Amino acid sequence: MADTTIVNEDKVQVAVLEERTSARVLNWVSQNGIFIFTAVLILFGVFFVDGFASLVNITNVFDRIAPIGIVAVGMTFVVISGNYLDLSVVAQVATAGVILIGVSNAYGLPVAFIAALAAAFLFAIVNGTAVGVFKANAVIVTLSTTFIGLGLLRFFSGGSIFFGPPDGPIRAFGLGKIGPVPYSAIVLIIMTILLSILLNRTNFGFLVKSFGVNEQATRLGGSNTALVIIGAFLVTAIAAMIGGFVLAAFSNTAVSNDGVGYEFEALAAIIVGGTSVFGGRGSIYRTFLGVIFVSVLTNILVLFGISFGYQQVALGVLIVLAVSVDALGRRASKK
Amino acid sequence: MGSGGAPPLIEADHITKRFGGALAVDDVSLTVATGEIHAVVGENGAGKSTLMRVLAGILDPDEGEVRVDGQVLARGTRNAIDAGIALVHQELSLVPEMTVAENILLGAFPTKFGFTEYKELKQVAADALEEIGVSVDLDERVTRLSVALRQFVEIARAVARKPRVLILDEPTATLTPAETDYLLAMLERLAAGGMAIAYISHRIPEVFRICNNVTILRDGKQVLTAPIADVTPEQVVDQMVGRELKRDLASHRDAHPGEVVLRAEGITAPGVNGVDLEVRAGEIVGLGGLVGAGRSELVRAIIGADNRTAGQVTLIRNGKPAVISSYQSAVRNGVAYVPEERRTDGLALTMTVTDNIRLPNRKQLSKAGFMLGAKIKEFAQQLADKVGLRPPEIQREAGQYSGGNQQKIVVAKWLGRRPDFIVLDEPTRGVDVGAKAEIHRLVKDMADQGTAVLVVSSDLPELLELSDVIHVMRDGRITGTLPYGEANEKSVMSLASGEAEVSA
Repeated sequence: MADTTIVNEDKVQVAVLEERTSARVLNWVSQNGIFIFTAVLILFGVFFVDGFASLVNITNVFDRIAPIGIVAVGMTFVVISGNYLDLSVVAQVATAGVILIGVSNAYGLPVAFIAALAAAFLFAIVNGTAVGVFKANAVIVTLSTTFIGLGLLRFFSGGSIFFGPPDGPIRAFGLGKIGPVPYSAIVLIIMTILLSILLNRTNFGFLVKSFGVNEQATRLGGSNTALVIIGAFLVTAIAAMIGGFVLAAFSNTAVSNDGVGYEFEALAAIIVGGTSVFGGRGSIYRTFLGVIFVSVLTNILVLFGISFGYQQVALGVLIVLAVSVDALGRRASKK
Repeated sequence: MGSGGAPPLIEADHITKRFGGALAVDDVSLTVATGEIHAVVGENGAGKSTLMRVLAGILDPDEGEVRVDGQVLARGTRNAIDAGIALVHQELSLVPEMTVAENILLGAFPTKFGFTEYKELKQVAADALEEIGVSVDLDERVTRLSVALRQFVEIARAVARKPRVLILDEPTATLTPAETDYLLAMLERLAAGGMAIAYISHRIPEVFRICNNVTILRDGKQVLTAPIADVTPEQVVDQMVGRELKRDLASHRDAHPGEVVLRAEGITAPGVNGVDLEVRAGEIVGLGGLVGAGRSELVRAIIGADNRTAGQVTLIRNGKPAVISSYQSAVRNGVAYVPEERRTDGLALTMTVTDNIRLPNRKQLSKAGFMLGAKIKEFAQQLADKVGLRPPEIQREAGQYSGGNQQKIVVAKWLGRRPDFIVLDEPTRGVDVGAKAEIHRLVKDMADQGTAVLVVSSDLPELLELSDVIHVMRDGRITGTLPYGEANEKSVMSLASGEAEVSA
């Protein structure tokens, strides 16, 4: 090959385009900002908010973080694949709760686990086929499967509230703690580690990212893109089922409108964590931090006595800010 | 239709246009008079479309000026339209979801108090269609029309603005012979009615049928402008090609083709009409032809990247035939594909070189689905070095590299699979000279090591240098096959443009 080397050394200098400074700053903020934001927010809470650092409050925050966090780390897969989000996690969380309490009351815990897994597959196959095979818009598809899922759930559950037995494995899990850390938070940490390995260390995770960057190139690289998308929805659905279990176990009750608002809070955590809604770029660990950030922020607002309405406003503003930074960074990179 | 007597209606005076450093149009002057049809011919990339877009005010010239009726045309599309210049684009620019009438008047809807005057709109559209002698339902949505009808609607759109100068950029590229006849007759009628027409074409027979004068461009330069009566089809092709017809024989390798590796029979797909093709181990087969002849469509249909409506593809590895039914099965069976559009189809630009190389090779670089990090890095580095990526920093994003280096990454990722059969579509388009030579070397090396190679290229010298045999396509068919000894720029161009048919 050496004899065909025609490009001389001074040309090598221009062979690589460096990113523009503005793009670099915005991308850095979008990808690393979450570490600083979370640290600052926690420090602010510790020093300026009464009751923030108390054991009761920390336990409260942990209890809140776990179910949303588990949903968020799972849904990160769909976001990275470039399909925006899976709204149907709302229906999946509710389904999981009703299955965990209702089905295990009637048929026992193993049947409930199997039923929940089957439900996860069903959601994933419907969402994934419509989006991955028929190329339908993920927002519309998952909005519709939310309706289908919740409708069926209300039909089968009769809209009633299910109560778990006052003692037994579900109750024990729901109340269990190691020090101030509830079991549910440990489940979140394990899920974060496992899904991070799945995303960063396996061919499946690689294809999810690659699809998010360039669908055509991924297909022409010889991969089954439909399976990749169904897989991304399956990871999300299984995580949502586990999140629903954790939520139901905590209160030992389940009703068909558990999980309302989870899609939004999970999305907020993912985006604040710097996962791009344009797909191809994201991290499970940063989603984990994003969940902490969103939960701590909500907690501080509660401690300040700010009403629920304003908490919603704050969450909405946060998402708009985060997606704007994401979009600006992307546009600056393109120029 | 006097081309000599009438004063020029539109004049291009010493037009020069650069893109970046490259000269697209280099000091070209031409005039078109009322009633004249002026052909502008040249190979792909000769600067024809650029020149026409300068005339239509879409591009500003770097030097020179355009005059209409002796008046210098001010810059900008608006002024060109007001001066009566209309351009029919090469790519169709209709809005598929709107009706025929709406498309014809797109951007010029008649309004009253801000409301669209649909009655008037339809009347003007109907007049335009009548003027070009085409009958289409005005309320039909364009998406339901054939490609040919869309082309006519596009022309009606230009005619509805009552232009004095009509510029057409390869309007017959997608038409059948009968439709072409109709269009040519229409142009003659419009010219007879007093329009000045500039007509870009690759197709020599058409030029000789309807044009009064011809201008030949080559590499942006004007090589000849003459009355059509003063030249022969053969001379036109000679001037278009221009280069030394004798090839540098030393640059061609000594080919030793083996067994047939790929057999495609009766391939039919949109733009491809029943093509048979064979490629042998260690052989480089070239596909020549003009843009739109169906070459990319053919190769994509063969490997399953696009669906085919008929035909069978067999891949023979170690004497065992495998029928290829999908793109995935093709890749599994040892097919590699370097696509025409490297930025959208070939690479994930915001991923690293390593990840791009990993994509098609992920199975051999993993164990039970888990990636082998160190092995991936070593593998990618080896391939990056092999293709001469500069700088060979595989953790950089692919999009940070220049075009030539990006193309090397695409080649590298497929080299890793040691393919039995590789398709390269325009392997060196937009690539600098150095990288081009290196990519040629890589392609030849692959063939020398027994890979069956199929190359599509609009770059004639490239096609001639690489190919052991060249199939020339036109209108979705292979119109001629030239073994190495008989292939030269003239014989290829003559088959590609259909000039052979006029001379015969």
